[in-house]
Amino acid sequence: MAAQNLAYRKLSRVFFFLVLVFAVLYIFPVFWMFLTSIRPDNDIHKFPPTVMPKALTLSNYLYIFTGMKGFSRYFLNSVVVTVSTVLIVLMASAMSGYAFGMRKFRGSGVLFMLVLSVLTIPYIMYLIPIYIMEYNLGLTESYLGLILPYVALNLPWGLLIMRGAFSTIPLDIRDAAIVDGCGEFRMVFQILLPIVRPAFVTTTIITFVFAWQEFMFASTINKKNNWQTLPVGIVWIRDELQTMAMGKVGAAIILSILPVLILFFIFRKFFIEGLSEGMLKG
Amino acid sequence: MKEELLVTSAHRLRRRRRISENVNLIIFLLPAMFFVLVFIAFPVLYSGFLSLTEFKFGIDKAPTFIFLQGYIDRFTDDSLFITALVNQAVFAVSYFGITFLASLMLAIFINEISFGAQAFQVLFYLPMIIPMSLAGITWAWLLSPINGFTNTVIRAITENPRFMFDWYQEPKTALIGLVVARSWKMVGFTLIIFIAGLKGIPTSYREAARVDGASFWQEIWRIILPNLRPYMLISSIWILINSLKVFDLVRVVTEGGPGIRTYTLYYYSWKLAFERQDLGQASQVAYITALIIILLAVVLNRVFRAETAERA
Repeated sequence: MAAQNLAYRKLSRVFFFLVLVFAVLYIFPVFWMFLTSIRPDNDIHKFPPTVMPKALTLSNYLYIFTGMKGFSRYFLNSVVVTVSTVLIVLMASAMSGYAFGMRKFRGSGVLFMLVLSVLTIPYIMYLIPIYIMEYNLGLTESYLGLILPYVALNLPWGLLIMRGAFSTIPLDIRDAAIVDGCGEFRMVFQILLPIVRPAFVTTTIITFVFAWQEFMFASTINKKNNWQTLPVGIVWIRDELQTMAMGKVGAAIILSILPVLILFFIFRKFFIEGLSEGMLKG
Repeated sequence: MKEELLVTSAHRLRRRRRISENVNLIIFLLPAMFFVLVFIAFPVLYSGFLSLTEFKFGIDKAPTFIFLQGYIDRFTDDSLFITALVNQAVFAVSYFGITFLASLMLAIFINEISFGAQAFQVLFYLPMIIPMSLAGITWAWLLSPINGFTNTVIRAITENPRFMFDWYQEPKTALIGLVVARSWKMVGFTLIIFIAGLKGIPTSYREAARVDGASFWQEIWRIILPNLRPYMLISSIWILINSLKVFDLVRVVTEGGPGIRTYTLYYYSWKLAFERQDLGQASQVAYITALIIILLAVVLNRVFRAETAERA
């Protein structure tokens, strides 16, 4: 036994170093991008190239805010689209989550299954009809053109999570509030919502990350700078500057993932839970 | 007389309350139902309809109904579709292999580590928060033939230009390059599934094996892997379904090239719809893709359920 335990401890140490090596390799692409973003252009593109920078600079970060119109606009667009999507999804999924979780009504089972069946349908099926619809309604090239489909695609997830949360609340709480003369809407928003707060956080994170990362709808529906979000906008910046200004593209990428990174470190647990549920997306 | 009045008013009150409750219910359901009906149910039906027609957007005034002819044409008379299908299959298989094995191995390793396991888990999870399109740019830059990392290192070792090539423009490596970039984003997720599975294996199983003198590899083979089966199935479903939905990467990194080497189903459908304006054909490809995905999900779920039923 003792010899065995010793062998195990040794193995554990070997594994630690193996994982460490993997981890370094794993994070390297991002680190390389970061390194590029703090090098001056002539250092990135000199010949022969070197892996280690000869000089460091923050000029790329300054440039994308002051010298480049696109980036700040894309950032703003991403914020507007993401925040509106999250708010609408929270509102709608809380309301319907309450209805499915705490109210008995005929056909609720069938209706809920119908909403859930949506989860397995790949997004490519929605893209063409939604584009035609928005084109005919004049919604392409607008914030709304992205917000509406984003809400629709995230709502089933929100509903699933919210229904789960509401159905754990004892019905007595609701009945007591109604007997006390509390209106149904006030009861939901003032008494029940604080109870399902964790579900709110999970829904927010799923929706936020989706809207912040979405590419296919954004690149199809919006073709103009004014309404474009970061995942597509940065690709445009790259196409415009070509590879000769990788420092600026790198800076834009690093800045664009910063908000989600900050959220990630605040709500790590919710992230891992939430994104696991949201992985069927796409 | 008075009693009767009381009864009817109580009755009326109850009825009024029931009506108002029903009105409330409709209001509660309305926003969600609006979005689901208009932006999900209608699009599914409409693209189903389009897939049964011939319709060039902006050229044809209205779709012409051709029933299943379009689907037949895709399989018999559309070499690009077959190419996309084959590419997709190659992509799915290699993506599955890399993601599954890498995350399983890492999970087993991390599970044995006594120090920093949590931190590693977080670290491997980080690529998930990077948008796929930007991850694509990052990989394209890492592997870039002009001053990218890999070729800089190779240049330091050898000046032979044979070893310095454009990974994403080289027909042999383009598709596998995309697979690597996508796996990179996925491994952190399946890792979490596997670690959850490993945590669920009672320590007594392994201790018993150890008392009986089992070696570490025997433990892995005889105890850990069999107990991990349900988790393997779950992550297989995730990975396979996920592998059919490649669009961002192809669009950003290779645009289907070199030639048509990296055309995938999503990309081909998109290309048909938004560059050739052929909504009929695009919808057929989209529907076929969707059917493959749904079929896959159903079959794997069946297998999974049979598996768990057997254990119970």
